[in-house]
Amino acid sequence: MRVLYAAVLLLLLVAACTRVKPDTPVSGPKNAPTQPGAPPSAAKPAAPAKPQPGAAAPAAPSGRATGPKAADKVASPVAKTPAAASTLDLKTLEAQLKDTKAIGFFTKITLKNQVDDLLDRFRQYYQGKAKLTLTDLRRSYDLLMLKVLSLLQDEDQMLASAIVSSREAIWRLLADPKTFATLEG
Amino acid sequence: MKTLAAAWAQSLVVAAFLAVPSFADDEEALKKDLTAVIALHGLPCGQVIAVKVLAESDYAVSCKDGNKYRVYMNTGGRVVVEKQK
Repeated sequence: MRVLYAAVLLLLLVAACTRVKPDTPVSGPKNAPTQPGAPPSAAKPAAPAKPQPGAAAPAAPSGRATGPKAADKVASPVAKTPAAASTLDLKTLEAQLKDTKAIGFFTKITLKNQVDDLLDRFRQYYQGKAKLTLTDLRRSYDLLMLKVLSLLQDEDQMLASAIVSSREAIWRLLADPKTFATLEG
Repeated sequence: MKTLAAAWAQSLVVAAFLAVPSFADDEEALKKDLTAVIALHGLPCGQVIAVKVLAESDYAVSCKDGNKYRVYMNTGGRVVVEKQK
């Protein structure tokens, strides 16, 4: 009886010392199929998404002219991951960023603050209130994307890949005053 | 009766062993979170090595490079990082 009890104690101790890492890739595609605009990323990795109104269109392969080269250097290894480079719409992206366990609570709040700041700058740009150029905004956008990707790429590669795929599409939404106005409403 | 008490004592020891890694994981997660927050604000830190809870969503943070910060959420919902002397 004592041997059995000792064995159970030992098992409990071993279990206590074992650390199970959260299965972060699961959190990535978890929400993707719930959105009608987002393709089932795991099932059809290469299939392009259909562009929808209010949703991010598929990224152009070499559609950037103004962004810094360093941005591509960091982003490209993530894009090459075989796991689904699905394009996200903004709602799905927001939901997945909220759900991911790769980023802590305060980091998420800080990122949200910085996204809000960037949107404020776009607003000022379109209202002509600030001496900003679209190139300045693009630089800020790229920097923010890099911050998000650097936080995600180690622990939630699926979401990082999806963001890389949606990067140009989101930029196009922001860079067009008409679509930006629809985002505001 | 004596055996029962001994079994309870052993169970408490096991429970304590189970609880310690959980607290340690929470602490590490908070340090990682605050390290990322300080980096997002563009401030030097390297890595958070110690955290003291001042209030809810209000922390005094010590960094590996010797810098100290207060990280808190203000009433407007913004995360603020203040350098401390």
